[in-house]
Amino acid sequence: MAEEFNTESMLDMFLYESGQLLEKLEGIILEKQDADCFDDADINEIFRVMHTIKGSSGVLMYENITKVTHKLEDVFYYLRESHPDDVPHMELVEKVLAVSDFVTGELDKLKNGDTPDGEEKELVEDLDEFLGRLKGEIKKQGIQMPQANKHVEPTQFYITPVAGDDSHFYRISIHYRSDTQMSNLRAYSATYALKEVAEDLLYTPDDILSNEASADVIVAEGFHMLLQTKSSKEDVIALIDSSEAEEINFDELSKEEYGRALSEFGREEAEPVVVAPAAAKDDGNKGNKEAKKEGPKPGDYVVKTKEAGKGKTLAKNQPKQQSIISVNVEKMDALMDLIGELVIAEAVVLQNPDLKVPGLELSNFQKASGQLSKITTELQEVIMSMRMMPLTNTFQKMRRIVFDVSRKLGKDIELEVVGENTEVDKNIIEHITDPLMHLVRNSVDHGIEEDPADRTAVGKSSKGKITLEAKNEGGKVYISVKDDGKGLNKEKLYQKALDKGLIENKPMSEFTDKEIFRFITLPGFSTKEEVTEYSGRGVGMDVVVKNIQSISGRLDISSVEFEGSEMTLVIPLTLAIINGIVVQVGNSPFVIETASIKEFVRVGEDSLISEPSGEEYIVLRGECYPFIRLNERYDLPDSNDKIEEGIIVVLEHEGSQVCVLIDKLLQEQEIVVKPIPSYVRKVKGLSGCTQLGDGSIALILDIAGLLMHDGERR
Amino acid sequence: MKILLAEDDFASRKFMDKQLSRYGECDVMVDGEEAVDAFMMALEDGEPYDLACLDVMMPVMDGYQVLKAIRDIEAQKGIPKSKRVKVIMTTALNDERNVKMAFELGCEAYAGKPIDVEKFEKVLTKLGLI
Amino acid sequence: MAEDLLKKVETDDMEELLEDDSQKGMYMTFQIGKELFGISISYVNEIIAMQPIAAIPEVDDYIKGLINLRGKIIPVIDVRVRFKMEPCEYTDRTCIIVIDVKSTMIGLIVERLADVDTIAEDNIAPPPSLGRKEHEHNKYVFGLARTGDTVTLLLDPEKLIRQDDIVTAMEEVRKEEQS
Repeated sequence: MAEEFNTESMLDMFLYESGQLLEKLEGIILEKQDADCFDDADINEIFRVMHTIKGSSGVLMYENITKVTHKLEDVFYYLRESHPDDVPHMELVEKVLAVSDFVTGELDKLKNGDTPDGEEKELVEDLDEFLGRLKGEIKKQGIQMPQANKHVEPTQFYITPVAGDDSHFYRISIHYRSDTQMSNLRAYSATYALKEVAEDLLYTPDDILSNEASADVIVAEGFHMLLQTKSSKEDVIALIDSSEAEEINFDELSKEEYGRALSEFGREEAEPVVVAPAAAKDDGNKGNKEAKKEGPKPGDYVVKTKEAGKGKTLAKNQPKQQSIISVNVEKMDALMDLIGELVIAEAVVLQNPDLKVPGLELSNFQKASGQLSKITTELQEVIMSMRMMPLTNTFQKMRRIVFDVSRKLGKDIELEVVGENTEVDKNIIEHITDPLMHLVRNSVDHGIEEDPADRTAVGKSSKGKITLEAKNEGGKVYISVKDDGKGLNKEKLYQKALDKGLIENKPMSEFTDKEIFRFITLPGFSTKEEVTEYSGRGVGMDVVVKNIQSISGRLDISSVEFEGSEMTLVIPLTLAIINGIVVQVGNSPFVIETASIKEFVRVGEDSLISEPSGEEYIVLRGECYPFIRLNERYDLPDSNDKIEEGIIVVLEHEGSQVCVLIDKLLQEQEIVVKPIPSYVRKVKGLSGCTQLGDGSIALILDIAGLLMHDGERR
Repeated sequence: MKILLAEDDFASRKFMDKQLSRYGECDVMVDGEEAVDAFMMALEDGEPYDLACLDVMMPVMDGYQVLKAIRDIEAQKGIPKSKRVKVIMTTALNDERNVKMAFELGCEAYAGKPIDVEKFEKVLTKLGLI
Repeated sequence: MAEDLLKKVETDDMEELLEDDSQKGMYMTFQIGKELFGISISYVNEIIAMQPIAAIPEVDDYIKGLINLRGKIIPVIDVRVRFKMEPCEYTDRTCIIVIDVKSTMIGLIVERLADVDTIAEDNIAPPPSLGRKEHEHNKYVFGLARTGDTVTLLLDPEKLIRQDDIVTAMEEVRKEEQS
C-alpha cells in the first residue's frame, strides 16, 4: 500500500495515514462499544494511533489536532500503565469517538484545501476533566501512579505550501512589428516584468540576451512564453509592454495542457527538464513517478549551471520514464495464481495416464509438450522476476542509519553487510523495511556499549560491529541484525517485565532464555529508563513483531551477555512455486523441497544405532545423524519398516541435519504450494500441500518444523 | 540574527531575501557550494549563522548535500546539538520521501514552496529564533 | 437452544432474501447408522462421489484428510466418526456432501444419501432435552422433524464442523507462531 503513495506529497501522506489510523480506531471502538472495557491490545492500539497522529500533526503544525490527540494519548497512557478497574467504559468510548470525529473533521478541511481551524479547547478541557477523574480513581484503587507521560515536542517541522491549486497557466505569444528594433530586448523586458508574478516561466527563443540574432527570429516567428502564475489574466496583460507589439495571443491552459506544452516547448535536449518549482511538482507526480522509485538521495537535485535564459536542468540524468507502468498488485497475484494453475494443468496433461498405453507413438506429442514446458517455465520465471527485488536498497538505508545514528551517539561502529543481493518478494520488502530499521537503530543505540572501555574490558575491540545479513534458506528468508555489544541481561529483563506487570509472577527459572528475551517485544516494555530520540517510548519492539507477524514471519532473538545480540527476522517466501521432490511413505505422497535435500542414501541395518529409550541414529561415513521414521512419526500404515528396503533422505536446515526414512522416490517437479485449509489444525512439520500431476494431494514437509518437533520430543 | 539564504532562482531569492531580512542580516548565496563556503567562513570567524534556508535544486551541490555537509562539519567540530544552525529547506519537492530524507539528514524544518509565510514565522518562533 | 433456533431462522431469512425462495425448508437427508439426518440445503454446494483422500497426520480422527475438488483443496470429515460412532467401511454408496459454512468449504462423508425433503417449520420440534442435555449428539441437532413414521434429526452445520476445542487450537497456533 505504501508503495502507491510513495510519491505523494507530505500532506497527502499525512491525510492518508491519519485517515487509515482513524478508521482502525473506529473499528476497535465500534466493535468494543458494548463490551465492559477495552482489553490490553485495544488500549495499546488506541494509544499508538493517538501517538502517531499526535507526532505527525505536530510536525505539520496542526496544533489543535496535536493537542486533542495528545490528551487522549495521555488518557490511554494511564490506562495502559495502571490498568485501573471500573473505568466508565461508555464514557470513554464517547470520548474516543469525539476525538476521532474532531480529527476527521479537521482532516476533511485539509482535504478541501481549507485551514484546520476547529476549536479544540472544549474537547481538551473535557478530556482533562476525564483524565483527572481517572487519575483519582487510580489513586483510590491504590495502584501505583506511573511516571507522567513524557511528551517529546517535535523538533522538526514541515511547512505545507500554500495551496497551489489556484495557479493559472497561460501561453503567451507576442508578435512584434517587422520593423521593431532590438526585439530581443523588448522580449527580455516582458520576461523580466513577468518574473515578478511567475511561478514558472519558459520562453522561446531562449537565448534572447546572449544572441543578438535572436531578434530576427523573434520578429519572424514571434516570441512565445509559457507562464504559471497566481495572477489573473488582466494583471498579466498589464505587465507586458505592448508597444511595438503587433499582436499578443493569450491562451489560458489547463494544467495538463500546460504540462504537454512544457515538453514540446523548445526543449529538444535529451535530458528531461526540471523546471521551476510548481511545474516540477506536476512532472514529478505524473511522469517521473515510476522512474524515481529508487528513492531520492542527496545529490540527485544538483542543477547544472544555468545557461542564459535556459531553465534548470539536472546534472544527473533522471532515468527515462518510458515503458514502465504500474500494475495493481492484486492483478499480479491473480496472474501468479493462474500460472500456478497452469503448471498443474500442464502436469495433468503431460502425465496423463491415458498416455501410458503401451505401444503409443508419442514422438510428436513429446516434442510439442517439450515446447509447452519450456514456455510455462519461462512464464513462471517472468512472473517471479516481476515480483522479486534484491534487498540492496533496503540494506543501503540501513547503512545510512548505522552511519548517522552512530555518529550522533558518538559510537564507533563498523557495519558488515552480507547477502544484500538476496531477492525477496516486493510485498515483503515493503513490510520489513520499518521493522528492520528499528532493529538496526536498537542495535546501535542499545546494543553497542556507550563507552569503548566497557568493550576492551571484556576483551573486545573498541570498535563496535554490526552485521546485517540476509539469506534465503529452505523457502524462508532470514534477515539478521547482529551486534557484538553488551547483550541482553536476563535478570534485568525479567525484573523489568515483572515490575511492569507484563508477565505472570513466576520465578525466573521457569522461563526459558528465549522466553525472557521475548519480553522486550511486549507492549509497554522499554529497557531504558530514559527514552532516546531513536527508541521512542515503548512503542517499538511490539510494533516490529506485529508487522512481521502480519506477513506470517517471526522474530528470533538470541543473545549472550557481554558478547552481543542477534535479532533475526524469519520471513516466508510467499512465492508459491518451489522445486520439490515427491516421495512416498506408505500410501501417502510427500513433497520435500529440493534445496533442503543433501543426499539420498541406502544403508543397512548395521548403520542404525538404537538407544534403549527408543531414539535412533544413523551413522553415515562416521557421522551420527538423528533419524526420523516418517511412517512412525505420522502413523502411516502400509509402509516398510526395514531400513535397507527404504531410502534415507539426508535433510539439512540451518546447519542441523536429520535423516528421514521414506519408502521410495517418485519424481522431481515444480510444486505449487497451497496452504493447508485453516480448518485443519496446524501440524508440526508440514508447511502446506500441493496437487500432483495425477490430481492427488501431497503434503509438503517443513524441515524446520520437523527438526523442532524432533528436538522437543527429546 | 544571522541568516544564510541559498537559492539560485532569482524570483524566489528576491522573495525570501525580503522576508528574511525582517528578522536579521541575510547573506545570499546562489549555489550549494557557496552556501557551504559561507557557512564555513562564518564558523571560522566565530560568527556562525543562526538560520540557514536552503533551496534543494541548486547548481554544484543540491540542498540535501549542503545540509549534510553542514551537519557533518558541525559534528566534526563537536558543536552540540543545541548550538547547531537551524536549517529550513525550501523547495517544491514535497514528496514524503524527500521530506523524510531531509529530516533524517537533520534539518529543523521543511517548507514547501510556495511558502506559507505565516507558518514559516510560526516555525521560527518554535525554533526559538524570533 | 431456543436462541440457536432463533439465530437459525434469522440466517435462513437472510438467505431467503439472497437466494431462491424454493430452497426454504428444504433439507438434504442422509443416513448414518440407523438414523436419518438432515441438513439445510442452503449450505450444500454439491454432492460428489467418494474419492481418494490424502490423510493428514496428527489431527482429530474425524478429520479424514484433504480432497482435491477441481483444484481447490478442501478438508473432509467423517460424520460418523464425528458422532463418535464406530467408523465403517466406505462403499460405493458412500459420498461426500460439500458444504459451505461461512465461506469455509468442508466435505462431509456420509454413508448414504437419502433424499431431499421439504420440511415445514411446524413439523420441527426442538430435540428432547430430558436429562440428555449433555449427550453428544444433541449439540449438533437443533430440531427433530417427523414425516410419517420417520424422524429426521436436523443438523446445524456450523456446530457440526466446529472443533470443540477450536479456541485452544487457535491458541496453540498462536503460540507456535510466536515460538
